[in-house]
Amino acid sequence: MIEARDLSKRYGEVVAVDGVSFSVDRGEVVGFLGPNGAGKTTTMRMLTGFLPPTDGSAEIAGHDIFDDALAARRAIGYLPETPPLYPEMTVSSYVTFVARIKDVPRRARAEAVDRALERCALADVRSRVIGTLSKGFRQRVGLAQAIVHSPPVLILDEPTVGLDPIQIGEIRGLIAELAAGEGDDRHTIILSSHILAEVEAICRRVILINEGRKTVDASIDELTRDGKTLEGLFAQETARDTVAADSAAGGGGAS
Amino acid sequence: MRHISTIAARELRSLFVSPVAYVVMSLFSVLAGLFFVLGVAAFNSRVMQLRQFQATDMLATLNLNDHLIGYFFDSMSVVLLFLVPGVTMGLFSSEKSNGTQELLLTSPLTIWDIVLGKFTAGALFVTILVGLVAVFPGILFAYGDPEVGKTASGLLGVLLVCWTYVAIGCFASSITRSQVVGFLITFVLLLFLLLLPAIADLGVAGDAPQLGAALRWLSTGDHFQGLMRGLVDTSDMVYFAVIIGSFLLLTKAAVESVRWR
Ligand SMILES: Nc1ncnc2c1ncn2[C@@H]1O[C@H](COP(=O)(O)OP(=O)(O)O)[C@@H](O)[C@H]1O
Ligand SMILES: [Mg+2]
Repeated sequence: MIEARDLSKRYGEVVAVDGVSFSVDRGEVVGFLGPNGAGKTTTMRMLTGFLPPTDGSAEIAGHDIFDDALAARRAIGYLPETPPLYPEMTVSSYVTFVARIKDVPRRARAEAVDRALERCALADVRSRVIGTLSKGFRQRVGLAQAIVHSPPVLILDEPTVGLDPIQIGEIRGLIAELAAGEGDDRHTIILSSHILAEVEAICRRVILINEGRKTVDASIDELTRDGKTLEGLFAQETARDTVAADSAAGGGGAS
Repeated sequence: MRHISTIAARELRSLFVSPVAYVVMSLFSVLAGLFFVLGVAAFNSRVMQLRQFQATDMLATLNLNDHLIGYFFDSMSVVLLFLVPGVTMGLFSSEKSNGTQELLLTSPLTIWDIVLGKFTAGALFVTILVGLVAVFPGILFAYGDPEVGKTASGLLGVLLVCWTYVAIGCFASSITRSQVVGFLITFVLLLFLLLLPAIADLGVAGDAPQLGAALRWLSTGDHFQGLMRGLVDTSDMVYFAVIIGSFLLLTKAAVESVRWR
């Protein structure tokens, strides 16, 4: 479903992402784990076509992100780090707008919007103005816009950052449901996080990114098989990193 | 096409729930009414004066188009120079501050869809304002007999000048993430456009007459005045198309430039 080959991104002198390759199969839920500044957002921005890679290429659902950009973008639902919302719009008119620009055919549009709102538990606030919603609700509106066109691939950048524990639980539950759907409702998901517990709770596979490089790519079962903990591994892999302490704290403390 | 109208419709709806649209519309109605009443009063006193002195030949040359509607349209184009930046300031800058730019640029849209959609929204809004301008000479048709052709071409002039303002406003808004900065850049650019003939006269072009002529050509002034005299000239149409097109091209480059970094 997702095929990244040697993706690299340089901002002037700064190498944000350095030769990252991986491949994600249909229906997989993969966690991008890494401390702040590791290059998670930059990698996702390249996959979604927001930023062109300095080097390397990627394919989404068989479409090259460069040569077949519009088709690749149609296949992706993307929730950026800050949900891309128009505060003055109502929830349903916003999601309808997104359905239009994502090429959902006119006849299917109303139903697609209703379903996205329902799946994100937004039906009760559909006529509310987005600017008046709580942060948790706004994050759900962000998820609703990502799924409204039933994309095979979902890319979610730190979907629970800045939420309170109850909201975090709700969003995680929602993502788990999106991963478990049937047919069109079943998505291949990449989500990023600097919080270990989050990746452990939602994903079956983890890609560890540190200083722009992929350092680990394995299933969580494999990594924790011989009594090892993900915490130990994360601490070990990011030990040389100056911001490791910060991320480990987010994960509930390293062992 | 479909995407352009989707973007334009969303933009217009957002504009109409913002206070900006209503501030601009009410301010404009008041100013337009004021300028019109003052214009009519000045015209009347002129007529009175000429009658008093029995200057019949001068009275004969006095007409509603050249001595009232023309001045009115002229002043409206200046009033709009202050108001249009308020309409266009948020077109692109707010997408950056909202983070919605990331949504648009990762959707199956082309950059032209986005740029033309936003320009269309701004252009439609100012067309409503120009519709308000049209109401006033409409009143004169009820009480007098202005020339239809001249009035219509003058109105077209106001419209084209306003669309030019919008294209410039689009560009200014696309190079900043702050609405206030967007407003100021637009305002400065428009003022510069207005003052170009004066700059040419100041002798900047001194010993290079071509430069002076080029500066004059770049300003809306001469092209607008032509339309005001009832001359719908192809070269003036080309002028407006070139200026609007150039600023939209610059806007497209600016929107695209996030990808160059
Ligand atoms: N627009 C940019 N210009 C310059 N450097 C950037 C830009 N965006 C990100 N970076 C740098 O690239 C690196 C990776 O950032 P990012 O992908 O946001 O990391 P993460 O999402 O893992 O926290 C960081 O060192 C960051 O400072
Ligand atoms: Mg990030």
